[in-house]
Amino acid sequence: MQLTLAHHPITDLQLGAPAALEGTVLVIDRAELSRVVTEDESIVSVDFDIARPGERCRAGPIFDIIEPRAKAPGSGPDFPGILGAPATAGMGTTHVLRGAAVSVLAEMSPDPFRSATGRVLEMSGPVVETSDYSSLSHLLVIPHTRPGLPRQAIEKSYRLAGIRVAVALARNALSQVPEPLQTFAPVGPSEHGREDLPRVAYVGQIFSRQRKPAVDEPILYGANTDGMLPVMLHPDEWLDGAIVPSLHSWFGGTETYFYQNHPIILELYQRHQAREINFVGTVATIAGSDNFDRERHCRAAANLVRWNLKADGAVLSKYGGGLPHADLAETARLLEGMGIKTSVMVSDVSRDRRVESALLFNVPEVDAIVYNGGNGTRLEVPRVERIIAATPEFTKLLAGPMTLDASNIVGVTNQQGASRMRALVY
Amino acid sequence: MRIAHYVNQFFGGIGAEEHAGKGLETRDGAVGPGRLLESLLGNDAHVVVTFVCGDNYAVEHQEELTASVLEKVRQAKVDLFIAGPCFDAGRYGMAAGALCCAIQAELGIPVITAMSEENPGVDLYREALYVIDSGTSIAKMRGVLATMARLGEKLIKKESIGLPAEEGYLRRGLLRDQLVEKKAATRLVDMLIAKMKKEPFESEMPPTAFAPVPIPAAIKDMSKAKVMLITDGGLVPKGNPDRIEGTAATRWGSYSIEGRDDLRAEDYEVSHGGYDTRFVQEDPDRLVPLDALREMERNGVIGKLHDEFISTCGRSNPLSNTRRLGREMAHKIKQDGVDAVILTST
Repeated sequence: MQLTLAHHPITDLQLGAPAALEGTVLVIDRAELSRVVTEDESIVSVDFDIARPGERCRAGPIFDIIEPRAKAPGSGPDFPGILGAPATAGMGTTHVLRGAAVSVLAEMSPDPFRSATGRVLEMSGPVVETSDYSSLSHLLVIPHTRPGLPRQAIEKSYRLAGIRVAVALARNALSQVPEPLQTFAPVGPSEHGREDLPRVAYVGQIFSRQRKPAVDEPILYGANTDGMLPVMLHPDEWLDGAIVPSLHSWFGGTETYFYQNHPIILELYQRHQAREINFVGTVATIAGSDNFDRERHCRAAANLVRWNLKADGAVLSKYGGGLPHADLAETARLLEGMGIKTSVMVSDVSRDRRVESALLFNVPEVDAIVYNGGNGTRLEVPRVERIIAATPEFTKLLAGPMTLDASNIVGVTNQQGASRMRALVY
Repeated sequence: MRIAHYVNQFFGGIGAEEHAGKGLETRDGAVGPGRLLESLLGNDAHVVVTFVCGDNYAVEHQEELTASVLEKVRQAKVDLFIAGPCFDAGRYGMAAGALCCAIQAELGIPVITAMSEENPGVDLYREALYVIDSGTSIAKMRGVLATMARLGEKLIKKESIGLPAEEGYLRRGLLRDQLVEKKAATRLVDMLIAKMKKEPFESEMPPTAFAPVPIPAAIKDMSKAKVMLITDGGLVPKGNPDRIEGTAATRWGSYSIEGRDDLRAEDYEVSHGGYDTRFVQEDPDRLVPLDALREMERNGVIGKLHDEFISTCGRSNPLSNTRRLGREMAHKIKQDGVDAVILTST
């Protein structure tokens, strides 16, 4: 298994017809994309807009951000299990529109009580230093769903609209010559020539079953994680469409974009390439809904790391709210007990900004903690010339100037390791 | 720069333990360590008033001492209040912390003290104050005063204050956000590699220690005990009359179950955003097991089930808040003559 990424640098998006990739400019045919999106009969119509880096513009609420990618013919389906058969992701060649993004706007906030605005995308102002998303050229997809749909059906439509548009855009690159081609040094539990390097695994939560997923909620290869036990995945499966965030994740800072560009996996790949470590593989797991679930998942995940990957060390990350901290810490504790060193990444959830309320676990063995911030920072954002939103209410609400929680600006906080905002203990 | 300084009887030159009962003396200008402080801060800095007080007197008359020092500091119109350094002198640390807290709160001027980590004043005041880490050795006086002076100048100029290790103060146990150079993913892998190589690494979250809660004496005869049900799972009567928040609740409610054997789904709802509440909504006894407790009551396993249950929502609730909720609940429980409580969580 070896994934090749064929990068096509994108410097601008233009609306026009026919759709084409002309050098580094992507021409986007709205009518064609409209047909792609409204294949889903939950969506009655769809609008499109473009937001460029540096433009005095704001968009929201953002449901998801996706990097436009399409599989080369013969390389398997895009988003297997969701858009195609659940074939193994991470095979063959995937074309990437580097520097572009597809961002889906919602017609409601994910949690109006905690945030009227939802998460917004800032393309200008001081915030751009802190979010990787601000430097991308965004095609905003604004689906309008049929009235009366239950929330999860609406969110599923948003998910499908986003990834379908992303794939459709990237297909324009299939006939073009990419630059450059990117491959990664082979990763696996038994790669030769790496016997002297420390064996490192990644254990990543991909869902928290604090909430039971919808029956048709796509998370892992289109499945909703019901009955799932931790599973070994090749890192390329994460990068190539095997996993998307759950339908309710758009409050927490998990986007499809950072599965496709998973910061932890890319970091491990880089250290692997530099022969600092032997990256032996990954385990995808979920946070349990009760203690029995938790015990099962944590033990199974730790056992895969020990017996199948035979790792010397593991990095762990969580998904979702506060409760998954417990699963993360327990898995790390079990690994440490097996003699496998760990470091873990969590986000600050203290509401009073006190260390005593912060951690949600207190396990002496779990002594290497990366602590993401964003919980207590509010950022001033200026009035901007243009608001891109799905409803007139949001257009008005997002006009600015206003103060936003850092966690409500996409990219500033992130559970996948992309953020530079740290919560410091003082 | 005008400074007011507090020292105990020993550093004030009055004498050792035998003079610990000495009351407050107010002297013009610098005394003892205050002189060194002045010289470290340079020509602009003047200790305009020094308070000297015996350690026993200070602890035994804390309110009088605080009121008196507060008033004199107000009159002296100073830019900075410094207490100590107290090293490991416990009573000195307690007095210094109390004075700094009061002056900071009442007068809004910068305050600094210094103690060793083990000084009992640290636990009480570290969150509210910058307590410079003095260590226990008086021989380090000069260095400690220099650190205090540096931080004091920064506070007066309202400059941003760095981390404990950079500024020399004891960790306050608070959190603040800051952009750092490296992404979280890079820091995560860096930390693991250092740990695997047995190189030093610094966790971004230190271990947290909590004081143990003493276990109360066991109930000798449950068949005579009055038992109460309390939950943090957010079960509330329909309409949520006390408006208990579904996240970080600041309120709790007590609800009658008198004469009932079973909680009916149509009478209740759940205010809690952190777990899948559908099973509780279907049958509230799954969270507040009234049906089971009634059976135990009938069978004489317990004496009596209290006529009310208490409910709040535990989700994402900071300890500073839950301590208060707990105290309020405990007060009511005692008043109601309850012998034992069953806490159900989610």
